[in-house]
Amino acid sequence: MVADESRKRLVQLSYERIDIPAAYRFLQTPGAGGVAVFIGTARQWTGERETLSLSYESYEPMALKEMHRLIDAAEHEWPIQRTCLLHKLGEVRLAEASVLVGVATVHRAEAFTVCRFLIEQLKVQVPIWKQERLTDGLRVWVEGNHPPR
Amino acid sequence: MLSFKVQLFSVLKSKLQTDSVDLETPEGISVSEFLDLACAQYPTMEPYRRVMRLAVNQTYSEDAYILQDGDEVAIITPVSGG
Repeated sequence: MVADESRKRLVQLSYERIDIPAAYRFLQTPGAGGVAVFIGTARQWTGERETLSLSYESYEPMALKEMHRLIDAAEHEWPIQRTCLLHKLGEVRLAEASVLVGVATVHRAEAFTVCRFLIEQLKVQVPIWKQERLTDGLRVWVEGNHPPR
Repeated sequence: MLSFKVQLFSVLKSKLQTDSVDLETPEGISVSEFLDLACAQYPTMEPYRRVMRLAVNQTYSEDAYILQDGDEVAIITPVSGG
């Protein structure tokens, strides 16, 4: 993984498996008193519907810009030492990580708050789409009801 | 007239079976008019008109923005990352 020049943030879309230990190493800094990490994973059951795997696609250049924009907004609002925003594209197997949001802050309260802010905003704003592969062989796009923000 | 290559993703890409469509528009057209025109020309998009946004030069655009020759355009339906 290559961080950007400032070394304060790591933003990445990749078809490779998310390297969780590398993300955590990136987040470690003496300035932080806490690190919060959220990992979104591929779920087998949604109600009575069984999913075999997920697949993600993205409008990559715009998605990366939006991911940076989210971090800009977070840094404007809260004091943040390090931020990690990683999303896997392509096939994601059950239980595998599809997204990792990590934040290192001086105090724990901001770490939880910023981590939550970033994942919630990513899910409504960043142009990434999920397709479910179901047990009947169908592949179905997850279609939301609200336009992106 | 202006001519655009409109990038498509996700459900629109699947339903139209292509990752982009061509659209010719009059000059001075707004984002809102552009999306209406796209749905009129490609009726498969119409059910998504209510929830789609246009990205111009890789940024979400306002409805009132007037498209310029050479703008990179993509239709963004509700996202579902995470």
